[in-house]
Amino acid sequence: MPLEGRHISYRYPNASGEVFSDLDFRISGPGFHALFGPSGVGKTTLAKMLTGAIKGFDGEIVENGIRRVLYTYNLERLPGWSNVRAHFEEIAPPAGRRRMEELIETFGMAANVDSRFHRLSLGQQNRANLIRYLLQDFDLLIMDESLANVDEITREKIILKIKILFPDRCFLYISHNVAEVAKFCSQVLVLRSPSRSPQLVAAQGCDHREGAESDSGRLERAMLEIVHAA
Amino acid sequence: MLHRRIYQFLIIYAIGLGLLLALKYGLSLSDYVIPSPAEIVQTCRTYGGPYLLAVLNTLAVAILGHILSICLATLVAVTGRLTAWIGSFIRTAAYNIQAYPIVAVAPIIFILLGDGLQSRLLIAAMICYFPLLLSFIGVFSEPIREIEHFYESTGRMTWRLQVKIRAFENIQKLTTVIVGSATMAMVGTIVAEFIAATAGIGYSIRIALYQSDLAKILVALFWIGVGTSFYLVSLEWVGNALQKRLRSL
Repeated sequence: MPLEGRHISYRYPNASGEVFSDLDFRISGPGFHALFGPSGVGKTTLAKMLTGAIKGFDGEIVENGIRRVLYTYNLERLPGWSNVRAHFEEIAPPAGRRRMEELIETFGMAANVDSRFHRLSLGQQNRANLIRYLLQDFDLLIMDESLANVDEITREKIILKIKILFPDRCFLYISHNVAEVAKFCSQVLVLRSPSRSPQLVAAQGCDHREGAESDSGRLERAMLEIVHAA
Repeated sequence: MLHRRIYQFLIIYAIGLGLLLALKYGLSLSDYVIPSPAEIVQTCRTYGGPYLLAVLNTLAVAILGHILSICLATLVAVTGRLTAWIGSFIRTAAYNIQAYPIVAVAPIIFILLGDGLQSRLLIAAMICYFPLLLSFIGVFSEPIREIEHFYESTGRMTWRLQVKIRAFENIQKLTTVIVGSATMAMVGTIVAEFIAATAGIGYSIRIALYQSDLAKILVALFWIGVGTSFYLVSLEWVGNALQKRLRSL
């Protein structure tokens, strides 16, 4: 399931400069990968290109074996007319009920699912939103700062669980947290400004998994590689 | 809520009446121009009952016209949101049409439909329809991206769901617009009755005007104020109850 972008160039209508100039990238297959870079460099734009929401760019994106790409971001809200559980039940496929309960438990949402979305804290809202996407059928899920308001311990727990539950799916995690992407992600695509060449540099993350020993030396090297690339 | 609105109305009415009487006694105007307090009280005793019925008649037509315009505005706004250019066309047309004073269009309606209920109803509906439509188009054509994104990207979005999301998210705005347009429906009905109808408080005011009887007009204005206050308070109550119910739990 490789995901590849070749010679991508794009300029927003009426914008003076290009967002991307001859951009190349490659994600080798399923796993938890990251898209990293400073604000405004085009991470969300690239994500929208992958979902097909932005068209009309030069170059091509090859999505071999990827049928369904979903994109989620941290500002999304659930409708307020029912509680979170009712919403999950409405959008979860019948076969996914067990998984739904599992995710609710793992994401630490068991005590909150009977509340309405607007009553949840920002971190709980992030988690509720992510759960509903994980209940969908997808091959690639782009998580644009989807856990931005979640505390570090819960975030780690969630990412490790996602890796266990969805080993055959591809995740592209957009985050500004160097330590996090270096620790948990397999490939880290570092996006830079169009004036720099190449505009995207791939770094290797530690791809930390549940039960595995943390190698602080390796993590440090990965973080340095990412910071230097950025 | 009701007592506050009635209280506010009574204060304004009393101030208006006081100024009128101050003018009368200040300029030594005759009872023919501005009636004395005793005459006003006498007129109130004689015409208070019939005028109350006339106001209720007008209020009933205004409510029907208001409901009609709400339904029509919802229908057109929901249809108009489908395509950007249809929405834009309806919005421009509504802006242009509402620029026509209803008083200028009303005679045409009376000529075509006569002076019965239909004309009153149509004019009441027309006068509050366009402001409602413009607000409704704004509400229903504006995406709530942070909610709709999930349904769009997972292929679950239907037009019913889209309308439900947008209505739910803008329920306060919709309620405010509906309550605001209620006064216009009442005004529209009175104007229609004043121009050509044969029933309602607008018709009674026209007769009083021909008789130069300011006391009757003052009694009519009193009941119009009370009737409109009741209607606005009822709408606000329904709106608040609806919002409370939707946002509860």
